[in-house]
Amino acid sequence: MSYKSLFFLLFLLVALFHESISHARSIDPLLGLEALRKGFVDTTDFTAEITQEKQFSIMKRTMTTTGVVRFKKPDIFFMEIKPPYSSRLLLRDNTIEQSNGKDNNKNRIILPPEQSLKQWFSKLTTPFTKIPDGVDLRADLTASNYTLYISPFKKGMVKELAITFQADGIIRKVVINEQNGDKTTMTFRKFKKNIGLSESDLSL
Amino acid sequence: MNKLKYILAFYILFLISSCAHTPPPPLVYNQGAVVETMSTGISLSLQTPERSISGSGFMVYRRPDKIHMILLSPFGTTVFEVFALGNKITLVYPSQGVAYTGPINQLPKKGGAQGWSLMRWVMDADPVGMTKINGTYGRVNNQGSKEDITVINGLITVKSNSDGDKVYYENYSLINGVPVASEIDIRNKQNDRIRLKLQESEVNTHLNDAVFIPRLDGIKLLPLSELKLD
Repeated sequence: MSYKSLFFLLFLLVALFHESISHARSIDPLLGLEALRKGFVDTTDFTAEITQEKQFSIMKRTMTTTGVVRFKKPDIFFMEIKPPYSSRLLLRDNTIEQSNGKDNNKNRIILPPEQSLKQWFSKLTTPFTKIPDGVDLRADLTASNYTLYISPFKKGMVKELAITFQADGIIRKVVINEQNGDKTTMTFRKFKKNIGLSESDLSL
Repeated sequence: MNKLKYILAFYILFLISSCAHTPPPPLVYNQGAVVETMSTGISLSLQTPERSISGSGFMVYRRPDKIHMILLSPFGTTVFEVFALGNKITLVYPSQGVAYTGPINQLPKKGGAQGWSLMRWVMDADPVGMTKINGTYGRVNNQGSKEDITVINGLITVKSNSDGDKVYYENYSLINGVPVASEIDIRNKQNDRIRLKLQESEVNTHLNDAVFIPRLDGIKLLPLSELKLD
């Protein structure tokens, strides 16, 4: 094989590979929402390592934290952030308990019933036939990754939330864009689902 | 062979206990070094008789009296911002779309709000090394108030005022040639306690004026007198 044809072949491979990894194709948002729901139907629990990057728009600084998240149906979410910003959070339905650092002081916050975790996940039990009220929804598909972009109509703190996931329910990334221009990117690694998390895995 | 094991174990224990009790060497710094600006990650814990709050966030400071502090939710979104500029303070709650502004002396007496009124006093540190002899001294500070300071190796470790407010500065380290306490523990007369841990601090770097100006687009601005903290 001549250098010319080898170069052409390489160019073709790179072009195809680049196309397959980088081209985001817009899809019907309802299709994206259904992909999320279906991916989550058979998930009883999951655990993942996370890296959270908060970009402060005005300060030109980024704060990076790492940790783990665990979730168990129907309504328990646990997050532990490693030092130096150590914190542990447990959300059980609509009650948040949080402890920071080694002093072990716990905060307790009760969320309004409409923000309960059980209620949110109950929405994923039946197929979506229309876009949920109060939000604008967009979706795209890049290789095997779906991304749903959710923008609340009501002007609050969050401008847009984007969740990137696979059809099998594995979450890759969550991006939160705030009205003030700040952006938080939470990247998931070592995502494992249905591993049989116990109560002790989900306590502060 | 057993004897050798015991000797080795004893030696390791001795080394460990020696390490645990050896105080860190005193910091070597240039006399007169001072924090003019700081941008730093923070872990904050506020305990009051009524409630306790904790979280992480970010703070920028410009000497002597400009502070902007951001507290974040565990998911990284902004929960609360404080802008203290001279005698004016603005508290912003983005999720509620509301902010309160007014003179610092109009902060509510309860709910930990009084702690914010001490931030200038806490952050406005002297140039280091001005007092050479270790000990506790009474003085009038650069805001014209009387206070007691405790100095060790030229660094202020405790400050207290006649109102019963007290601040402890701990774990000094050198950043950009300036000694900076990475743990600050504030107790006030209302029995509130604020603990502040500074992380990934940058000292005496350029800060734009814009970082000290509250961003209030779409936020309802109310007078501080309307702030109610339970």
